[in-house]
Amino acid sequence: MYDVVIKNGLVVDGTGKAGFSADVAIKDGKIAEIGAVAGQARRTIDAKGKVVAPGFIDPHTHFDVQLLWDGAAKPALEHGITSIVPGNCSLSLAPLKAADRKAVVGMFQQIEEMPPEAFTEAFEWTWEDFAGYRDAIAKHLSVNVAPLVGHSVIRLWVMGAASQQRTATPAEIAAMQDLLRECLAAGAVGLSTSFVDVDERARPVPSRFADSAELDALCAVLGEYGRMLQVVPEFYATDITIARIDQLAELSLRHNIPTTFSPVFDSRATPDNVPRTLARVEEQFARGARVWPQMQTRPIDISFSLLRPSLFFVRLPGWVQVLRLPLPERIAALKDRATVDRLVAETGEDGGMALMGGLIIRGGDKAPAHLVGKTLGEVARSLDECAARTLIALSLENDLDVAFLAADMGHDATDRIGPMLAHPLVHIGASDGGAHLASFATYGDTGYLFSEFVRKSRYLSLELAVKKITSDTAEIWGLKNRGTLAPGWAADVVVFDPKTVARGEEHPVFDMPGEGMRYVREAKGIDTVLVNGEVAYADGAYTDAQAGVICG
Amino acid sequence: MRAAAPLPATEALTEAVIVSASVGAGHDGEAELIVRLIHPNGAAETVTLDAELGFHLMNNCGVSDAAGLAGQPWRKILEGL
Repeated sequence: MYDVVIKNGLVVDGTGKAGFSADVAIKDGKIAEIGAVAGQARRTIDAKGKVVAPGFIDPHTHFDVQLLWDGAAKPALEHGITSIVPGNCSLSLAPLKAADRKAVVGMFQQIEEMPPEAFTEAFEWTWEDFAGYRDAIAKHLSVNVAPLVGHSVIRLWVMGAASQQRTATPAEIAAMQDLLRECLAAGAVGLSTSFVDVDERARPVPSRFADSAELDALCAVLGEYGRMLQVVPEFYATDITIARIDQLAELSLRHNIPTTFSPVFDSRATPDNVPRTLARVEEQFARGARVWPQMQTRPIDISFSLLRPSLFFVRLPGWVQVLRLPLPERIAALKDRATVDRLVAETGEDGGMALMGGLIIRGGDKAPAHLVGKTLGEVARSLDECAARTLIALSLENDLDVAFLAADMGHDATDRIGPMLAHPLVHIGASDGGAHLASFATYGDTGYLFSEFVRKSRYLSLELAVKKITSDTAEIWGLKNRGTLAPGWAADVVVFDPKTVARGEEHPVFDMPGEGMRYVREAKGIDTVLVNGEVAYADGAYTDAQAGVICG
Repeated sequence: MRAAAPLPATEALTEAVIVSASVGAGHDGEAELIVRLIHPNGAAETVTLDAELGFHLMNNCGVSDAAGLAGQPWRKILEGL
């Protein structure tokens, strides 16, 4: 008797080979049989017209905190994500001494935009070491977790406050090596570091004070375990990113480790960025190094409010002048009729309709709920007003705390990005799931991969798209027995409709501790998600299954 | 989005100069200033600045429009940091 049989589906097994009609039988959390399954099962899922694929793996998330109260990393799981990698960008929640919690919470709040209540109300700190954190999240996981350990917290543990002041001594480096060994032995799948991130006081995070000898010593330990080094390079400058690729290649070759870096994204303003980056990656792979660039699928939107000056207005000098005033003066200026007339005139004869009419009014703490999701142009027309004047009026009515979104402002040229995503050396990832909570939704990138790049523009076949986010990811990260549908492998499975799978509209929810807000996207076209053989999501709802494990 | 300005002749340059600046979308959903530079040795470079640094540069250069940055010395970025 099988536990589950998924019948009549198109099996796309993650290897890249053409999909084929077959049943998939599951027993004891593993794939038992693929083919014409005759045996009985406790539960049968009819997948007629649907694709049956390995569960998707998200290699770049910041769910470290959320996992303590939400073992499904919602809404990632409903998008078909069955395994996640938290602990990116040099930050993890362990190892962490009790005395250092406040410092690391500040760093997490800076990166994740998580409300303070998330750290004070939602869970009890019971751990200091990595094994303790692992055990704390492992109690109620619905999704599999392959956690990284952060270089910044390792540094903080060994050096204390000096971790944000200076390079390490040889003795301190040796202590960091020992600590990293302990974390890897406790289940960490690698080390994350950052050359970019800052804490809540805009100070460089501890990892940025490491010299090359320290990084080399830590990579030597990764080499003992064959584990990953994840890096945030200086992505704002292509030349520096290329220098980092060379550095990563040397570390990869010297210690026989995989490395990965992100973000890598395309921009019309810097069109040679990705081509130059990929050219260097190709050169280094040709030398035998493993330096995987992670690229997100979703376009980048710009959002802003009049609370802070945004470069969105950089071509409107009058607006820049007003928005850079201190807040009381800014509000006074925006209430002054003559000033507003001047600002409106600056936006053109159409009163900013062309420039601002497409802006989408975003939800949040202050935005009027009935306007959320509408364009500024729609609202302006309903008021028989121009867009620029409506933007100012709406902002003033809500203490300037209304956000506006300019959609698809970067990484949005499908004809450029499609071939990049299909490139065999491009690692699809960099979702940042669980981060940027108050700015934009970091969920649904896999749905967007299928809707935009498989179904609409056809830059990737269905089979290649599945391979890129399943077996490729598992292989790059060394996740054993995951990412492929094959007998004996973990029964992480997603059943989806290839004709409708997509990401839903972005919208705000208030489900963070302390009723904190975040933006999310629900899944479209996902029928059933199984994690280690148990149905974790089906028919649009999460189940009580908690079969997720710490994996590696 | 504006087309990239042609690079000026570098013979007369004694320091890095801004060729052009435009707005792009940053990884974190903020608008960023993308500044194109040329160095006296002919090397071209693109640097991305966040809003704070972008406005800082514009302020130091005494311009209120990104287009006004063209021709300004890059060292202006350092003033007041």
